[in-house]
Amino acid sequence: MAMITFRINRYNPDDERRGHYVQEYQLDVEKGTTLLDALNEIKWKQDGTLTFRRSCRSGICGSCAMTINGVNNLACETQVLGLGNSTVTVEPMRGYPVIKDLVVSLDPLVRGILAVKPYMITHSPPPSDQERLQSPEEREKIDGLYECILCGSCTSSCPSFWADKEYIGPHAFLKAYRFIADSRDEGSREHLEALDDRHGLWRCHTIFNCVEACPKDLNPTKAISELKKELVRRKLG
Amino acid sequence: MRYNETTRSGGALWWFFQRLSGLYLAIVLFTHVLVLHVLMKDELAYGSIADRVATPLWKTINISFLVVALMHGLYGLWIVLGDYIHRQWMRILIWCAIAVIGLVFTIYGALTMILFQYGG
Repeated sequence: MAMITFRINRYNPDDERRGHYVQEYQLDVEKGTTLLDALNEIKWKQDGTLTFRRSCRSGICGSCAMTINGVNNLACETQVLGLGNSTVTVEPMRGYPVIKDLVVSLDPLVRGILAVKPYMITHSPPPSDQERLQSPEEREKIDGLYECILCGSCTSSCPSFWADKEYIGPHAFLKAYRFIADSRDEGSREHLEALDDRHGLWRCHTIFNCVEACPKDLNPTKAISELKKELVRRKLG
Repeated sequence: MRYNETTRSGGALWWFFQRLSGLYLAIVLFTHVLVLHVLMKDELAYGSIADRVATPLWKTINISFLVVALMHGLYGLWIVLGDYIHRQWMRILIWCAIAVIGLVFTIYGALTMILFQYGG
């Protein structure tokens, strides 16, 4: 058990005059308590106005992504005592417009993902009475790509996104490559179409922030690199 | 439908050029260090350098280095500025300024190399 101070970045759109401010809460935390548990405890017992997103509380939905001690992560996967500080700073993810407290607008995330057509595209009919099958080797190629939960941590940590709010974003690039690398997909051209854009792939400067930020340990930079090579191959071919 | 019909970048070939030109610059720089600081037996003086620079082979190498370095560097600058400049008129203005700077330095540098003569 340890007394932890939570410094939470607050913002109430109904109180524009106050703007963004930091509010401190103290909580006795025991081993095994996640940051989401702590935030729930604060909301339920200390301050009902504290606002944050959460849903699955098991690292699947991506709703509780936030900036914790300066690093993007999922609150439900962050052990408070594991942070090793007696003070924990919690902010909304950077780069996105803040709606209230820790809740950000994910519109830029959605805009980016829709641009790459994030679904399987096929032109040939499926084999009769069968699914579109793939070999274990073909299936392996989408490991490290399909696991993205669209929490937005990567794009929030990307300096290209900070500078250009229309930037499609590493989350969408990873998703595009997830389908391009899938042997069953026949729509590479459609997925790639949006990427060769001023706000697209070429704005990535290989800074690797997205790799560090991903709570699922995925590698959007590698996917981006593969997409760049694919686009060049198509231009030269 | 494209993400935005008005902002096609055509960045694929430029991205590829940056990789190739980076490789070329590294090779030429390595050759420069090797020839000038490792293999050269003469005294490191104006005369010995000028003798080498005046040969057609080195004029070609130096001009190609100038052109590739300018294109690589100025396109890199354009990419960095492009992160922060979003107004279309400003982008056109800066693109034109970079193109003019590149052209002027290419002509000026190439003429200096081509017209350079020394000794016999």
